[in-house]
Amino acid sequence: MSRVAIVGGGIFRGDRFRYENAEEGVAIAFRDLMNDTPELDPQDIEFVMMSYFSDHLNQQLCMGWIIQDYLGLHRKPGYRVESGGSTPLDAIINAYYLIKSGYYDLVLVPGWEWMSEVDTATTNEFIASASDTDWDFTVGGYYNGYYACLETRHMQLYGETIEDLGKIAVKNHNNATHNPYSQWRSEHGTGYITLEDYYKDRIVAWPYRRMNCALISEGACCLLMASEKVAKKYSDTPMWFEGVGLGTDSMRPGDRLVDWAYHGVYPEDEKIYPDTVKKPKTPYPDMANFGSLREGAVTAYKEADIKNPVREIDLAEIFAPYDGVELTLYEDLKFCKRGEGKTMIREGIVERSGELPCQASGGLTSFAHPVGATSLMQSLFLYWQLSGRIPEKFGDSTLQIPDAEKALTTGHGGTGCQGGVIVYSR
Amino acid sequence: MADEKIKVEKDESTPIYKEWEAWARKGNFRVEGYQFIKAPCGPGKIEDAKVGDFMLVNRPHGALFTHSYGLVSKFFRGLIEKTLYGTRCPVCGTTYCPPRMHCWNPTCKVAETEWVELPLKGEVHTFSVMLFSADAFLEMLPFVLAYVQIEGSDTTIPMQVITAPTDIFVGQKVEIKFRDKRMGELMDMYAVPVKGQKIPENSCLNNPDYLKDMERDLQGTYAYLEKRFGMKKEDIEKRWKR
Repeated sequence: MSRVAIVGGGIFRGDRFRYENAEEGVAIAFRDLMNDTPELDPQDIEFVMMSYFSDHLNQQLCMGWIIQDYLGLHRKPGYRVESGGSTPLDAIINAYYLIKSGYYDLVLVPGWEWMSEVDTATTNEFIASASDTDWDFTVGGYYNGYYACLETRHMQLYGETIEDLGKIAVKNHNNATHNPYSQWRSEHGTGYITLEDYYKDRIVAWPYRRMNCALISEGACCLLMASEKVAKKYSDTPMWFEGVGLGTDSMRPGDRLVDWAYHGVYPEDEKIYPDTVKKPKTPYPDMANFGSLREGAVTAYKEADIKNPVREIDLAEIFAPYDGVELTLYEDLKFCKRGEGKTMIREGIVERSGELPCQASGGLTSFAHPVGATSLMQSLFLYWQLSGRIPEKFGDSTLQIPDAEKALTTGHGGTGCQGGVIVYSR
Repeated sequence: MADEKIKVEKDESTPIYKEWEAWARKGNFRVEGYQFIKAPCGPGKIEDAKVGDFMLVNRPHGALFTHSYGLVSKFFRGLIEKTLYGTRCPVCGTTYCPPRMHCWNPTCKVAETEWVELPLKGEVHTFSVMLFSADAFLEMLPFVLAYVQIEGSDTTIPMQVITAPTDIFVGQKVEIKFRDKRMGELMDMYAVPVKGQKIPENSCLNNPDYLKDMERDLQGTYAYLEKRFGMKKEDIEKRWKR
């Protein structure tokens, strides 16, 4: 079977409000892709794999048809992939399957989200309708609340502190100040923040402050994906897929105390469960960890032959809508043992200068989070990283991880209901 | 016999308010207002932005959803009648609250479950203190959102715990109460802590610095509520100071 690569990308940077509409934003990202990939003739594109999350936010069903038409690609086969926050990663993986299986050699993956047509509270409500509307949505929670509950559980079991969450926030925001496409820099400029600034930030849903939470953004991104046969035509520096993996978990996080589908699957993780707290029937993942991401990681690592992720992977762009998710995923992605996520940030392993930098782009809390485009943006960032083009693209070499050869990215939908992992190499 | 169809019978427990029927026909996504604006736009980096002229239109849209609770309708009827139900799998014995009519244990092959009445007691599995929330819940701020494991159930169900926001902890024993006005939704019930419990030393919120920051931001929430809804801090605190 063919190898698969990302051979180009273009971005329409995310911000709180963008006044071009979605099809224009995607067109601008597509032009950016073509400027960067002069060999690309749109007629060569064989399939369009579209990535957008919400139909509510723009009161438009089948937005994908508008996009394909606007780009002039409406004769081509194409469809939309949707799985909450995992939408863009799943779109990339779907395109990967199509190319890998030999059906197509060249696939365009456009992703976008326009999230500011309704006010912030309504945006949060619409997004929260991805939770179980009979059983989770009705009690005043929305994603900030659900995720805060998950982090509280992890914190109670494994003892990370508010300072740990603060350090992750400071790391990501300060990284984003060097990213000229980041929403944090657009809104707040290039000054660094400190832990003191973090402590002053307002708590929205304890243990989370505003800075711990993903941004609301409008933006777009396009990736060009190719088979081995045609990859070199479009890029001198293709970013190859080494392994992919998908996973799912229960819709309602509250059911994960008796998560039979996971029962006994990860016995080592079940063992690492403190005896100070009552043990549920299935102690992994409980409401503390993300089984879907573990499933994705195990599959991806097997395909990519990764034995020791921290040593073998040079940087990671994690889909972490909340900073506790990033910390927890250090464990579920096997960067460390369950319960040791806190040591990854305390020992600086995930800092820019560390052994496995995470969120060098700034991630969802500071780069931007136009849902359907988010993983595409993170993968494009990795494409620039692995080809050493960050200094050229950003006009600033600070974020370039020297000699990066392997990178990892993840997708994450609902409360970890859906997850996915990709390992790339240069 | 085969031709005899079962008739749908519907009572009028709560007729839909006139207000909502009219509201659902409002808007219909037609333009009700517009603005011209100048705003940054264009491709590239932040510093590449140019000024563009745009027109915005306001298109309101109402909707009234009539939703069936399906085979677990009995649970919600139970809330109205102040009784808490779960379901139990006759094969593996897992007890579900929230109920599911089919067991999700893969070894049970989606077996049909049976209804069981559950005690009005539970334990906090995890929580968050909400100092900001979605629109519909703003006037309830600040509140504790918790996933509570009902005694005898293997799963947890989300609900608000009426307590001082700084007193909540994982493992707290709670009693389930019903609100006076019940509409057949999870908000019909809430939890209150069983009296006389001590906050454990190892509670993750039990840290003087965390509590200090929480107090500071609670004041912010009170100020917001007063400004927006004219609510007074003393009245809000009465919810849990009983």
